[in-house]
Amino acid sequence: MRSRRFHGLKKIKVRQDWSRWTLYNLSRLREATSTATRGTYFQQKWKAKSITRAYHGEQVREKQWERMFRRNIPAVVPMDHKYLAQKDGSEQAEGRGSGADQERAQKARPATPYMQMTYYPLERRLDMAVWRSLFASSARQARQFVVHGYVKVNGKRMIYPGYQLNPGDMFQVEPERVLFATGASKVGSNRRRREIRKWKAANATGPKPTKVSKAAKAGPVSLQGEYTQADVTKAPDTSPEALRKRLQALMAKTKQVLEAKEGLPTKLKRNLRQFRKEVKRAISLHKSATDLSTETLEGQLELIKKEYEPVAETTGEDLSLVQSVFEFAEERTMRSSAWNEEDGRKPYATPWRPRPYMSAFAFIPRYLEVNQNICAAVYLRHPVARPGFSEVPSPFSVDTNQLAFNWYLKRR
Amino acid sequence: MPPRLRPRISLLPSGPTPTSRPQCLLRPSPSHRHFSQTTPHYEKATRMRRNMYKWINGPGKVFLEPLPGSTNYMSAYDKDGNLLRARKGGDEESTPGSEEAKALEEGKQAEDGSEKPKSSEEELENLDEAAVAKKEEDAKKEQIAKSIPPEGKQDLQPFPLNAQFVSQPVLSEELREAIWKRVMKDGVSLPTVSVEFGVSNERVGAVVRLMQMEKEWVAKGKKLVRPYAEAVMAMLPKTPYVAKGENKRPVNHESINDLIVHPATKQQLFVPVSESRHFTREDAAKAFHHTLLSADDRIPHPELVVSEREAQLGLSNSERVAAASARMLVERQRKAEKEAKRKEWEAKTIMRVPGRRWDFVFQDISVESVGKDGRSEKGVGWRYGIPHEDRKRGQVKIPTKVDG
Repeated sequence: MRSRRFHGLKKIKVRQDWSRWTLYNLSRLREATSTATRGTYFQQKWKAKSITRAYHGEQVREKQWERMFRRNIPAVVPMDHKYLAQKDGSEQAEGRGSGADQERAQKARPATPYMQMTYYPLERRLDMAVWRSLFASSARQARQFVVHGYVKVNGKRMIYPGYQLNPGDMFQVEPERVLFATGASKVGSNRRRREIRKWKAANATGPKPTKVSKAAKAGPVSLQGEYTQADVTKAPDTSPEALRKRLQALMAKTKQVLEAKEGLPTKLKRNLRQFRKEVKRAISLHKSATDLSTETLEGQLELIKKEYEPVAETTGEDLSLVQSVFEFAEERTMRSSAWNEEDGRKPYATPWRPRPYMSAFAFIPRYLEVNQNICAAVYLRHPVARPGFSEVPSPFSVDTNQLAFNWYLKRR
Repeated sequence: MPPRLRPRISLLPSGPTPTSRPQCLLRPSPSHRHFSQTTPHYEKATRMRRNMYKWINGPGKVFLEPLPGSTNYMSAYDKDGNLLRARKGGDEESTPGSEEAKALEEGKQAEDGSEKPKSSEEELENLDEAAVAKKEEDAKKEQIAKSIPPEGKQDLQPFPLNAQFVSQPVLSEELREAIWKRVMKDGVSLPTVSVEFGVSNERVGAVVRLMQMEKEWVAKGKKLVRPYAEAVMAMLPKTPYVAKGENKRPVNHESINDLIVHPATKQQLFVPVSESRHFTREDAAKAFHHTLLSADDRIPHPELVVSEREAQLGLSNSERVAAASARMLVERQRKAEKEAKRKEWEAKTIMRVPGRRWDFVFQDISVESVGKDGRSEKGVGWRYGIPHEDRKRGQVKIPTKVDG
């Protein structure tokens, strides 16, 4: 499917990836139709087609692309609602008789770059959208993610990279894969690899260094935050007395959690997990009674408050404690430093950092709305051209893209 | 024709030991070519390759790491890898700009220095030191970010040859949160929120959908991909959120009244019209196509035009608001009626039998809906005598839509 040398230096080809080869080739890319290299019209078109196709949907077969090609290119014009309200358009149709002799001050609206949109049908493909959302480091990697089943469309696994996204489709990529694709690689350069090899060789000859694990270093975990499992595993009782007891147990536990905030990270985690279990249990208890949305944490908090308020009033418990615990739980999931820890099992360099040269390629076109926190994006609409701007990211000039467009018109 | 040597060699008896066999018959391993003095081409760095590495380690080095607090696109730099806007600032103020550039370079180098590989034990031991170093590094980055002037249009161009594509700002996380709150907490309708924040209708819907999912992740205790999100958001231009209380103008994210260029209007048309005639946008639309609506009705927010017309008629603000809310109410009622009608129809025609895991849905189907050739899309089931086409050549089996 792919020729042996994907990144060459002789023929300047910009590829859809974040490699240094692409960056270098992008830096020395010149007009395909510069006066020095200009040939016949056919030659120019051929050359333009060749270099643009090396970038746009290189993983798509030529025949396939020819079928996808459309000569009608979508465009929009931004309208001013104030102008529409003021004028009904008749002033543009006025002839000389109505005194339209003097030149109207023409608003200098830049031309719509239709030709930059030559390859817009390709942007509708699922693999391309995954790549444009910065979830993969190359179009081919995005394609692989789709084929390997790491991408969901509207919550369902989609294994066809050629799936044509419809406006409003949401796609998600497995976060681990995204971190792998966009993170710095574990073994970076050849130099690093050599160093590691050398280090390993040196260690193989000498006595093996005793490896001190982090857990051992931290010492034995104290048990002051321990509590019994029994009350958790007990079947929930719906009587008000039992409810109150459960609440008290919950309060005691959360107090422990808050106190243990600094000292014991692992313990803390376990406690929080337990707390979450409790919350879930409490919700399942009352789910049948309410039709409140409890899917978000806020929803859960509201429900808990509503349920426990009368109980708290009778016992004089502090409701703000529950609130603070919820906030803390949210904080932990949102910005926990535990996320970006060192972990040798991960297939990328940890702590995670973006891969080299990523920033030069990082942009998200407007037809996508991306939420990086959950590695999901929505394909809002098809890309469009607007005055002075085209939404299809293309490294080539208008001339080159126009030549390529002309190549794909049926009668060339 | 050149003599074919291989078969003859293969005919040789397997008697001779491998050592006595001439070297050239073995697969020549590149490192064992003792007779050749020249380095083979694949080990030799060609001029092109040398140039590439020269660029990568020279002007291209600025792209290795993101520029703190800013985007880092190719068009923002000159041929030698100097940040153009830092230099521009230097021309105006003579010395500070160059200092900025210098600080920038130093910062970069400092970052590069901190990236030096370490052995794993060292890393384990120096965890605290690393944390301290990171803090210092962050402070330095912040300082650099402050010293660079904000990006212009050219600085946001990822491809130097394509001036028609710039990296447009994305919604900042605060803005996304604010939009979600406005829709889900305050219960404001989508078009209103769209006008309020200057974000297109469909984007508002998408933001709410994605944020809702994010909240669900948090509630489930699923980890958000924070390191990635932070890194990516730092590399992209962002539309900031301006809260109402702040004494600043809200930033429009995008144009919300985009008129789609209808294919019928792409042709040039000559319509003879008498000079005295009042030829409006509606007439023009009719001239292009008899069903084409005028631009006033085809934009996503026609209510803005109506409200603006009322303002021109001299209606007071409160009157306009009342009129707009009345219109909205009517629209809402119309929608509710439509929905009720649909539900009624569903209740009449569709029977649901709840199962253990799935519901069974029964609906009356007409046999005739398969059409004359029995292949109509509307047809249901398999008809006797009509073979499937799914094994035929050229049948595409990729689904065309996925229901959520």
